[in-house]
Amino acid sequence: MTTHITQEEADEYAIGALDFDLVRMVALHLAECAICRETVRDAERVAAIFALAAPQRRAPKRLRQRVMRSAGLERAGPLRRVVIVAQAAAGIAAVFVAIAAFTGMVSVRGQVGDLRDKNDHLQTQIDDALSQKVEIAALTRGLDEAERNSDQLKRAAQEDRNLLLALMSPKSDVADVFTKDESATSIGRLVWDEDQKRVWFVASDLAQRPKGETYQLWANSGGKFYSLGVFAPDASGFARYQTTVPQGLKSYESAVVTIERAGGSNERSGPSVFVADLSGLRR
Amino acid sequence: MTEGHPDSSSVRTISRADSFAPSVDAEIAARTDWPDEALMVAIAVSRDELAFAVLYDRYVDLVYSASIRVLADAQLAEDSAQDVFVRLWRRPETFIAERGRFLSWLMSVTRNRAVDELRARTRRRRREGGSLGEPEEGATPLFSTEPEDPPRCAELREDQVIVRRALSDLPVDQKRALQLAYFNGLTQQEIATVLHEPLGTVKTRIRLGMQKLRRALEPEA
Repeated sequence: MTTHITQEEADEYAIGALDFDLVRMVALHLAECAICRETVRDAERVAAIFALAAPQRRAPKRLRQRVMRSAGLERAGPLRRVVIVAQAAAGIAAVFVAIAAFTGMVSVRGQVGDLRDKNDHLQTQIDDALSQKVEIAALTRGLDEAERNSDQLKRAAQEDRNLLLALMSPKSDVADVFTKDESATSIGRLVWDEDQKRVWFVASDLAQRPKGETYQLWANSGGKFYSLGVFAPDASGFARYQTTVPQGLKSYESAVVTIERAGGSNERSGPSVFVADLSGLRR
Repeated sequence: MTEGHPDSSSVRTISRADSFAPSVDAEIAARTDWPDEALMVAIAVSRDELAFAVLYDRYVDLVYSASIRVLADAQLAEDSAQDVFVRLWRRPETFIAERGRFLSWLMSVTRNRAVDELRARTRRRRREGGSLGEPEEGATPLFSTEPEDPPRCAELREDQVIVRRALSDLPVDQKRALQLAYFNGLTQQEIATVLHEPLGTVKTRIRLGMQKLRRALEPEA
């Protein structure tokens, strides 16, 4: 929240009608914005009238004893009463100064000033803590994002390494991939690695498919097309798709990339965009 | 004076002390005219137990009444009111003089404490499989027009007269939306669900209600 909160938002906050997430946002903002704190205080003043308007009930007499006991102020017995009075007498001068400061009878405002200073100091500490909390949250988000990027880069590096091994393997074959569209600038290769039992399809300048469509790779074996999976290029149009050689597929004449409906088709049905002749590959 | 202290030597000691120091009742009486803020300063600066007692006597009925209005349970209201006053004694510095009037602050603390308890109770009921149902309204009216038991403080009595006059001019649907938020601890979305009204309608009622109350509370020119 970067802008000041409106009177309406302050009212909703003061009356307690905001959702928890919004309450937290407003509270964080109030820690840093004196103008909005003033707006909310005014709204709280109006909201407090509801409590004043609640039907009046007498509190049970036992409540007094409970409160005093919980506060550590047991009901004063005669001896205790004397101690209290003595303490009160000792503190009366300091208290009188404070009262005088409030009522304007005396111009000594030192103690009130001290109290305000303490409050300011406390408020500053709260503000600092909240600011640090916001910064830590931003850092945590940044770290999470960096971690995700790092994982993606690791996976990409691993895939590069696997492809490199396949290209170096004496048992791998590389086939040219031809685009069906002569005007297209795409170039591609199909790498078939018997060692790793994997297939890579690599191509550049691939057009992004509209929503509801995808690229699908097929292997033609004995006139029947077997799906090797679906893939999509990255934002730059580069695709590096890796999959495993289907079990039982011993011979293959060609590979083809078609455009199919999102999620892939069970049988080849869409138009082909790439074709690779695999008949010359070693077996 | 001798109740609970049958030992006559103790009685003599106390009598001697009483002759030098004013009685506690007199000390309390001396503080009854102090403004709220001065009493809070006395608590914060001098840990003045008598100032605390005066504040307690001045506002306990109000705090208890607001708590019972939210919680609709006398025992829970007692617990909640006790918590408010114990916190006031232990941490008086949380009342910041610049925050405005003590009474607004106290009512805000009271309402928030009671609503926290109300929400905790609602969560417990949900866990135990109970029905959430309609918010409890109890047998008490939304707002009182006549005090059943007049407050002990004249200033407070005047405040309540002004407040009740302001509320009496408020349309019923606006009063109800404000009451569900303030006393039942419901968010606007929850109010919309309970009243079967669009969220926008509820927001408008709260906005208009608060505007009217603000105007009504402004000092007359």
